[in-house]
Amino acid sequence: MRPEEYFAEVEMAWCPGCGNFAIRRALALALSALALPPERVVLVTGIGQAAKIVHYLRVNGFNGLHGRTIAAAAGIKMANPSLTVIAESGDGDLYGEGGNHLLHNIRRNLDLTVIAHDNRVYGLTKGQASPTAPQGYTTRAQPFGVLSRPLNPLALAIALGAGFVAQTFSGEVEKTAEILARAIRYKGFALMNVLHPCPSWNRVQTFAWYKERLQPVEALGHDPADRLAALSLVLSPGEDRLPVGVLVEAPPEPTWEERHPVLRQGPLVGRPLPRPEELRPLLAEFL
Amino acid sequence: MELVVRLAGAAGQGVQSLGEVLVRSLFRSGLFVHGELSYHSRIRGGENAFTVRLADRPLFATRREADLLVVLTPEMWRAYGARLRPGAWVVAEEGAAPEGPRVLRLPALQLAREKLGLPLAQGVVLLGAAARLLGLNPSAVERALQEVFGAKAGPNLQAFALGWERAPGPAWELPPPRFGPGERMLLTGGQAVGAGALAAGCRFLAAYPMTPGTPVLEFLAQRGERYGVVVEQAEDEIAAINMALGAAYAGARAMVTTSGGGFALMVEGLSLAGMIETPVVIHLGQRPGPATGLPTRTSQENLLFALYAGHGEFPRYLTAPATPESAFYLTMQAFELAEAYQVPAILLTDQFLVDSYAVVPALDPGRVPLREHTLSPQELERLERYERFAPTPTGVSPRALPGASRHLVLVDSDEHDFYGRITEDLEIRKAMVEKRLRKEGYLAQETALPEVFPAELRGRVALLGWGSTYGALREAVEALNREEDRYAHVHFQDLWPVRWAEVEELLREARAVVTVEGNAWGQLGKLLRQETGIRPARHLARYDGRPFTPEDIVEAMRHAA
Repeated sequence: MRPEEYFAEVEMAWCPGCGNFAIRRALALALSALALPPERVVLVTGIGQAAKIVHYLRVNGFNGLHGRTIAAAAGIKMANPSLTVIAESGDGDLYGEGGNHLLHNIRRNLDLTVIAHDNRVYGLTKGQASPTAPQGYTTRAQPFGVLSRPLNPLALAIALGAGFVAQTFSGEVEKTAEILARAIRYKGFALMNVLHPCPSWNRVQTFAWYKERLQPVEALGHDPADRLAALSLVLSPGEDRLPVGVLVEAPPEPTWEERHPVLRQGPLVGRPLPRPEELRPLLAEFL
Repeated sequence: MELVVRLAGAAGQGVQSLGEVLVRSLFRSGLFVHGELSYHSRIRGGENAFTVRLADRPLFATRREADLLVVLTPEMWRAYGARLRPGAWVVAEEGAAPEGPRVLRLPALQLAREKLGLPLAQGVVLLGAAARLLGLNPSAVERALQEVFGAKAGPNLQAFALGWERAPGPAWELPPPRFGPGERMLLTGGQAVGAGALAAGCRFLAAYPMTPGTPVLEFLAQRGERYGVVVEQAEDEIAAINMALGAAYAGARAMVTTSGGGFALMVEGLSLAGMIETPVVIHLGQRPGPATGLPTRTSQENLLFALYAGHGEFPRYLTAPATPESAFYLTMQAFELAEAYQVPAILLTDQFLVDSYAVVPALDPGRVPLREHTLSPQELERLERYERFAPTPTGVSPRALPGASRHLVLVDSDEHDFYGRITEDLEIRKAMVEKRLRKEGYLAQETALPEVFPAELRGRVALLGWGSTYGALREAVEALNREEDRYAHVHFQDLWPVRWAEVEELLREARAVVTVEGNAWGQLGKLLRQETGIRPARHLARYDGRPFTPEDIVEAMRHAA
């Protein structure tokens, strides 16, 4: 399928110039490159401007609750591991409200791809700071500036042992698409943090601001098999250098669904309902 | 014929296992038993009491006073020594209870330590003496010891013999067997919910451990491989319900199990289930609140919470099983109705039902027919176009599963159109609200009206209850009617939706209505008044964390008369 065939023909609620358009295009390019039939893909999103992407692409969709994106995606994957399941939402949803699900699903290592739209603000609720907003960033809700340090999702995922961790910039659509395809193809938990400007609310981290700071990790000779080197890359640069590219791509370990004895016999979906005679040993426990 | 045996010790002394051995011994002797576990929220010390009733007829309630008290510690003598019926016997660890007539004191700890090198077998020594007093056949107890202790049964069998040989002959004569092998089953309410889930084709359970929801988690976890169920301990209850909804969307019959605090965390997910019309079964085992409350005790405080939890308006099925038998069938029914109407179904139990053993007629899963409620790949291939939320007369849209055909399946927590796409078209919004609520009227036709005993209510004082108070209420009404035949027992299991006009017609016949509930507010009474205008004359409340006993209700009603 051509990338455009993954686009749903609907009116979109994103602001002009939003990085979300580019991420949508990158995902369509990746799905097309992987030749994934739309009916074999489930896109799971939460709530926020980024999360609306589920309505703008022609695949199966589960648009759940704010923050619960990865939890719902995990349930879908556990029930039917034969589907390609992608969890996608904003930084507030995935790193704020849903932080606990991120932690524990990195541990689970289901074959899931998580795409975070990281623009450091809450767009839909009009500009409050997100967990990745820098210290001192002022908004109407943070009049003294953000007092907390920003969350470092890359360091977190790398430290917890996520198999695939990457960061890209929405302004680089082709590169984002190429790495997204690698993330989706990767057998195990993959986190894609996509930096993107918010032209409506974030007047500090603009398109130009990002462009000046991007630092492709390939150019640094980074080896994605070297987890410690990746950790040092994402911990060291601060705000003036933003590493982009594949930070970690570890040799795949058995996924949760591959290790589960029930799922080794195939998906849960499509199994017949139990017949009364099959329940005899169960009921015999009470005799 | 009825006897009450209470086993009491500190946590860590194996009282629960002793209770299970005794319950199984009596069951193997063809007798009806009820076993109630009462315990403190700790691993060592505190108080653990297991109250076993035996009789020649089915029992679903516990008692305050015992005919035979087995105590392992002086603290337990102080707690339960006064709660004895006339003529009662006491079997006690030496020093735990004062000497007296019908008090058998044994150096059980010393015997267990010196003869067996196993101090933990202390309780089994005392149980041996108690079993002989009860007139039990030793082979029934030995079989039960093997069932409960498995590979570790050896020294426990010796401990049993040490106690048995130190007791006088039987103090009572047990009735002859009332049923033969295979005719009846022995199980707890928690096991019944777990078995009902397996029988209904549950394929997925996610839960965060919380008493008294945990027994259902563990029951399914231990049988998941054999019966094809994925059971996952979630990082929190919010994850549990959202994972279950994901699994259900994908096409697995899914369930969560929790208690009030965990259910509170699930409430947004419950609302999501209502919005995306995705079936899920929620087992809510009640314990006293607010907040953490009394973690290991029982209550009926969450009726109105379970009924109204969730922002926005959407239908749900709410049912509160009365006994382990109905817990099995209602769990099956909860799965079926959730699938058929694409609604969340809440099974409202409590610690008393979950942990108590009872003897029930052999369970027959064929009594609740199961059907596939999703479109088959063949049906889907014939469809030109598919809309997940297509309007229908009943409000139930044909449900497709993602990946089952070329058709895409989209669900949305936002208000959505028939396809599932986010919308702010307020005409569509109106149509979707009406579609969702329309399902409730059809669902109401499938729920059961309350059970009425005796069948003719005219002129009687109706004692109204719901859920696990069934046994206590029935016995109380029978006892009251032996004195003066003017009472009736009206018992709800299905609590939403209810055909209230029919309930009103029924209850208008009664002279008065008295609610009997394990809460302070009289929550069923409030609901009844709201839906029918009938105002209960009185509320018999219990909120100390203990289950109702028949005598509690009899005394309260006598007092009122």
